[in-house]
Amino acid sequence: MTLPTLGPVSLDPVALDPVALESTPPLPIHDAAACLQTVARLRAARDPRAVIVGNPNVGKTTLVNGLAGTNLKVGNWSGVTVEKREARLTFAGRSVQLLDLPGAYSLSPHTPEELITRTALLDEAPDVAINVLDAGNLERNLYLTLQLMDFRMPIVVALNLVDEAKDKGMTVDAAALEGALGVPVIETVASKGSGLNGLIGAALERAEVGQGVTYPAEIEGSVARLVARMEQLPTLPPHAHRYLALALLEGDPSIRGRLVATGHADLLAAADREALLLDASGEDALITVAEARYAHAAQIAQAAIPQVVARRTLTDRLDALALHRWLGIPVFLATVLLVFRLTFSVASPFVTLIGGPLQDTVSGWASAALSWAPFFLRELVVGAIIPGVGTVLSFLPTLLVLYLAMSFLEDSGYMARAAFLADRMMRSIGLDGRAFIPLILGFGCNVPAVYATRTLEKRSDRVLVSMILPFMSCSARLPVYIIFAAALFPKQGSVLVWAMYILGMAVAFAFAFVLRRTSLKNEGGGVLLELPPYRLPAPRVLWKHAWRRTASFARRARTTVLSTVAVVWLLLAIPAVAGGRFASVRPADSLFGTVSTWISPVFAPLGFGNWQATGALVPGFVAKEVVVATLGQIYLGEQAPTPAPLGLFAGLKQAALGTWEAVKTSVQALPTVLALPSLGADASHDAKSPLAAALATAFTPAAGLAYLVFVLLYTPCIATVGAIQAEHGRRIAWITVAYQMATAWVAGVAVYQIARLFL
Amino acid sequence: MSETTLDTLRPGETAHIIGLAPGHPLRRRLMELGFIRGAKVSVLRNAPMGDPAMLRIGGTELALRRADLMAVRVRS
Repeated sequence: MTLPTLGPVSLDPVALDPVALESTPPLPIHDAAACLQTVARLRAARDPRAVIVGNPNVGKTTLVNGLAGTNLKVGNWSGVTVEKREARLTFAGRSVQLLDLPGAYSLSPHTPEELITRTALLDEAPDVAINVLDAGNLERNLYLTLQLMDFRMPIVVALNLVDEAKDKGMTVDAAALEGALGVPVIETVASKGSGLNGLIGAALERAEVGQGVTYPAEIEGSVARLVARMEQLPTLPPHAHRYLALALLEGDPSIRGRLVATGHADLLAAADREALLLDASGEDALITVAEARYAHAAQIAQAAIPQVVARRTLTDRLDALALHRWLGIPVFLATVLLVFRLTFSVASPFVTLIGGPLQDTVSGWASAALSWAPFFLRELVVGAIIPGVGTVLSFLPTLLVLYLAMSFLEDSGYMARAAFLADRMMRSIGLDGRAFIPLILGFGCNVPAVYATRTLEKRSDRVLVSMILPFMSCSARLPVYIIFAAALFPKQGSVLVWAMYILGMAVAFAFAFVLRRTSLKNEGGGVLLELPPYRLPAPRVLWKHAWRRTASFARRARTTVLSTVAVVWLLLAIPAVAGGRFASVRPADSLFGTVSTWISPVFAPLGFGNWQATGALVPGFVAKEVVVATLGQIYLGEQAPTPAPLGLFAGLKQAALGTWEAVKTSVQALPTVLALPSLGADASHDAKSPLAAALATAFTPAAGLAYLVFVLLYTPCIATVGAIQAEHGRRIAWITVAYQMATAWVAGVAVYQIARLFL
Repeated sequence: MSETTLDTLRPGETAHIIGLAPGHPLRRRLMELGFIRGAKVSVLRNAPMGDPAMLRIGGTELALRRADLMAVRVRS
């Protein structure tokens, strides 16, 4: 038996060592030859393909990140990797392709993502599998390892989360584990990046085809007969024969469907005969196989962890509060409240900074630089693009703080607790706690939230959640609330924003209730929620994670928003009345104004049937943050305060002073986050921006409310529609667009008609 | 030593698995998670509205609804 070498790995490809194979228990002779072949192929491959396999939430993605330096998404709830992701790295002159697969408890898939993992193992014929284990939960993780060994492919084990296991009172003996498994075991701390070099070296140079479980004689007899049959079928991948035989005997429904589809019905018939034989001898293959795997896993675990000193872990203590019978829900609500307050009070001074001093500086420089240019060009840049893009960019600080907080909740494991707490409530609308996670993620951005529905087992659940998801108020809608709150409800800003979020949820739940009872009926089946241990997310990972999401928002400001703003400017510049001149026509007489005027009667019952308000909603189809930018173009464009040209030095001074002011205000606001009843977070909006001032005169409070409700509920942005279409098809996407449009209009009318009685 | 189903256990109580109801939709998944004959399972707590219940089996913590707990036969 080779001992694990955790030190530096030799950089030259190592020739195949036949001694290593002799030390593992003997395999059937044809099998042994095939295994030798796969190992030899791996050693010789110039650009080997490795798959990363493991239970959900064991750090696979963190590991790939560490290995390849890529920025894949990591989280601490089951189901972060909802599709396979690839990365490349170079090791000892060989180009290794890494395939990060979704987490799976077993290779008998229950969810679409587990199906992705199984399909990749069957079809992609990887050269080596890197199996990531949670050292603190060895037995359950080994179940997957042993099933993986039914695939005849070289395997190397990454023993991860060793530190967490220690907290639980377990010390895992990697050498003993390697001895018991017959494949190399490398200790890794994926979050700190340690052991990764050794892991990839071992994967390329020492990986072995493990022996796996020897099942009871009756099962092995059936497997041998089925494998012999498969060897006559060249279409079946040879490395999967043993796995396929076992899956058939266990009655895995997805594998049956696949074999029928690929024209192997007679193989199925043979498997059914074997199952009948087993039945007759009193064996339930499913139970026998599972028990054999667990018995073997228990043996190995015992060898690797000689003794456990049971300890009350941090997770136990935190759960005693977070999942407390009476305190659990208040703690959850307080957490969400804290996130929003943090978002507002810490970020809003920077919002003012970007939208105010910084934007003025850039405009000043731009007008100085463009003094030679024709009037319309200067107008496009200084009057449209800079304020439009600037307004959208000014919400970056808010989003960064929001994303940081949400990433923390996800990565720490609290999100899974929210699913547990919410399960009973979700049951009343015909869903379960797991559906709560995509809904909460929808507060950040609807697009990844739609993809996150893949963790749900049932199609009807996935479709239902995707259809109600766009009602969850994503961060792109937040800028609209903030600007209207500052304009019309300066004293009740955070209450108003809260109300929008709650209204969105209420509407989503109401539709879930209705859809469940009409078209998307419950398919039945049990509910199982996993509760992973709490983990303190590494600040570096959190930052990367939040930054990536914020950067994608910023990228949209550069692409989608910029081009939409330019198009709107063009439409505003084209005259629609006789005698108008390009770029100097009054907005109301422009093409944009004319078309908007034509649509606007539709919104009269909502209190804002004028062309300006209507016009801003139209580009909102592209992305909702554009609504604010367009409002700015329309309302401020009319007043057109052309910024004075600024010199380089004067601009820098203005920017520096503004930044200092923002930092000071933000730090001062920090303590107020925890202050209980005061909603003092709104104080920073006292200094009204020009747009807020314009809106305050253009909208009555009731019409402003109706406008916000409409923006909250109407058609999701193009990217969300695209995600829904990709997941569930064109029909579902269009139904979602249509019914949300109708809902938004009806709700807007109701809000306006009621609110104007009181406001 | 009495045979019962998992939903009758109160928080803090522990039992050993006998088997799972045939035909239950979670049967395969629960077996994969360690719900096999002889395994020790404990009920940690109930969710705020009494349902679901949080369990520990092996090193895994998970939650099941009462309706599904009834499918787990145990010896306590």
